[in-house]
Amino acid sequence: MQRLIRAGTPLTAVLAVGALTLSACGAGGDDAGTTDQDGTEATGTGEAPDANVSIGMFAVPANLDFTTTGGAAVFEALLYNVYEGLVRLDEDGEIQPLLAESWDISDDGQEYTFHLQEGVTFHDGTAFDAEIVKFSLERLDQWSANTPEALDAIESVEVVDDYEVTVALSEPDYNALFWLAGPLGAMFSPDSVEDLATEANGTGPFEFVSYENAVRMEFARNEDYWAEPAGVAGVELVYYEDASAAANAIRTGGVDAVLRSEAFDQFESFEADEDIEVRVGTSQGVVVMSMNPDHEALAQDEVREAIHHAIDKEAVLAAATAGYGEILGGPSVPTDPYYSDFTGTYAYDPETAQELLEEAEVEALTFNVPNRAYAEASAQVIQDNLREVGIDVTLETQEFPAVWVEENMVNQDFDLTIINHVEPRNMNNYAFPDYYWGYDSDAARELFDEAAAATDDEEYASRMQELTELIVEDTPGVWLYNPPNVGLATEGVSGLPLNDLGVGIDLSNVTVSE
Amino acid sequence: MLLNVLRRVGVFAVTVFVASLVVFFLLGVLPGDPARAQLGLQASEEQVQALREQLGVDRPLPVRYLEWIMGFFTGDMGVSYATRSPVAPQVLDALQVTLLLVLGGIGVAILIALPLGILAAVRHQRPDGTIFSGLSQLGISIPNFLAGLLLIAIFSVALGWLPSGGWQPPIAGVDFLRHIALPALALGLVNGAILARYTRAAVLEVMREDFMRTARAKGLKPASALVRHGLRNALVPVLTVTSIEFANLIIGAVVIETVFVVPGLGSTLIRAVANRDLIMIQSIVMCVVVLVLLVNLLVDLLRPVIDPRLRMPS
Repeated sequence: MQRLIRAGTPLTAVLAVGALTLSACGAGGDDAGTTDQDGTEATGTGEAPDANVSIGMFAVPANLDFTTTGGAAVFEALLYNVYEGLVRLDEDGEIQPLLAESWDISDDGQEYTFHLQEGVTFHDGTAFDAEIVKFSLERLDQWSANTPEALDAIESVEVVDDYEVTVALSEPDYNALFWLAGPLGAMFSPDSVEDLATEANGTGPFEFVSYENAVRMEFARNEDYWAEPAGVAGVELVYYEDASAAANAIRTGGVDAVLRSEAFDQFESFEADEDIEVRVGTSQGVVVMSMNPDHEALAQDEVREAIHHAIDKEAVLAAATAGYGEILGGPSVPTDPYYSDFTGTYAYDPETAQELLEEAEVEALTFNVPNRAYAEASAQVIQDNLREVGIDVTLETQEFPAVWVEENMVNQDFDLTIINHVEPRNMNNYAFPDYYWGYDSDAARELFDEAAAATDDEEYASRMQELTELIVEDTPGVWLYNPPNVGLATEGVSGLPLNDLGVGIDLSNVTVSE
Repeated sequence: MLLNVLRRVGVFAVTVFVASLVVFFLLGVLPGDPARAQLGLQASEEQVQALREQLGVDRPLPVRYLEWIMGFFTGDMGVSYATRSPVAPQVLDALQVTLLLVLGGIGVAILIALPLGILAAVRHQRPDGTIFSGLSQLGISIPNFLAGLLLIAIFSVALGWLPSGGWQPPIAGVDFLRHIALPALALGLVNGAILARYTRAAVLEVMREDFMRTARAKGLKPASALVRHGLRNALVPVLTVTSIEFANLIIGAVVIETVFVVPGLGSTLIRAVANRDLIMIQSIVMCVVVLVLLVNLLVDLLRPVIDPRLRMPS
């Protein structure tokens, strides 16, 4: 796959990202997409089942234990590949059976009975049965990372027989299956939980082989997999902390594909390249600028609305992602089942913004900006936009995550701040007045409760839509955009997942043509 | 002579001790919580506090210092907060990579500096000598990460001759050389240019010495006079500068490793800082400090071997 590239564009591109190389040391690979036209294409020429595939990745896993290590990097690599849960999310975000063949939900929504797959074993030979489910779900109280409290509603887990298990909830929680489809639902063998940081033993289509810290992770096909075996014999995930380094690697044959690519300024040259397919999907990310309600001026509705009207989101998107991704008007993303488009509510309109500001006194604002390329680019555009309507903004760059998290999420010491919330369904945080953006609304909390108590999709979606509308109206923040999830694949590699759903990156369908 | 060696070793030991204090207590006031860095944005204050206690970062600094420094010099550097495995093997692996890279860089630098510096001195005040000086000036003004990106753009992306990044251990043979070539070149180019200027100055100075005139007077040709009497004298300042450059190369390696995705001390350090993996940061910084001081000590001890005049007590 060694290829020669016409000098001009790549050379300038490589240099252009030069500055980023320094500032983006350790940049998280959390941004990712829009809609795509052509998902996965058939390989055409027949597949090579003995092939190995090498995939460039961002966001380096610190270790292998996602029960005690935050961030998506760890479970993204392991979930659906090495570990599996009772259910999974498919490419469209729908819940599908996995280790549970099927399930029944009681009428009051408080009892879930799962019928398990038979004949499933862990990679070390341990049999998977109802006891494993009980063990894994009861172990959630030992998790310290990745929001175990999202499944707080689980009250007890009863083994009915070897392949049937009943999970009782203390109150109805319509989101329970969604969370079970993610890392919180992973099934562990009781014998392997001692060394979760360095070993991974699951039931998935790949066996974990090795992890050379921050360099590469290797998987081998699980030949005894209970369902259809993986399409390639081995997978090598190669970790990059710099977007342009990964882009260079795929240009020069160092890797066969790149996932979560953030080399936005190079996509144009990749799109012109016949040998590399650029696949733009969607992510769970919401890039939001929060406005601190404890600030005197920002506590006023007119001021927050004015700020929302003053920001040119198209320009922000162009600066942050070269225009890839979707502009948002509210806190939900296109793959959420309750998504609706609110981009018209506070359209870019500096004149309206100025009118709204006539009554209000807005002194200079401080804008805390995490030292990530997308955030710095967005903040500069916003600073310009706000200056035009007479608000003076000082940008304060803060190291992410260590300093930014401390100052903004813990101390809540900010006027304005911006971040890409990558975790799925992060809209749920508008229910908690202690969360850093300090949104405090009884009406919203009531709607959250009603949505959780829903017993069918329609009711849930309509409550959540109502809720989104309410939050948008109150405008505690400016929702800027939903970053794209961009994958790059060389010719012959197919089956890579298109969208980032905030769960594992399923690599079992990846194939390499002969 | 022996006294001199003992004195130097004593200074080395005291410097290491002071450095360990500075490293530890400066990191102690670094903003950002190690426990929160491991648990991520979503963790609750209780979860963070529990981890703080588990990691022991809630204990007083002096207690942690003693525990760390005793461990450090007995080879037990503790367990990393982020990777959850012992620090020592990880640091040693990374150190090995960085040392190879730095040695490669020094090799490149010397290969560039000696010929360029000597030629610039010998051809002093002639057009070609000026060109040699100009070349080294140009080299100094290119930051090494930019040199790295240029090399990738030319040799990997445009020509496809060498990989754009990654690393292979020395046992991989040719593959090792293919992977180390560009980062070592990027690292060595700039330092070679700096070293070339010192070499030029040292050779120029030596050429003005009386003993050189004497050498010429007794019938030696300019070239053999320079080789037999001049270079040995010029080498002392060059060696000293090389040892100082060694520290610069290690710092340069931090950046170059990120550009070329090399799993050395630099990239490990940057990741450890991002993760607030204090125990890892301390151990890496201490290793670099000890290494730089060791090289300085070695050069101090080596200078009298090259130049007998330095053997006399001062």
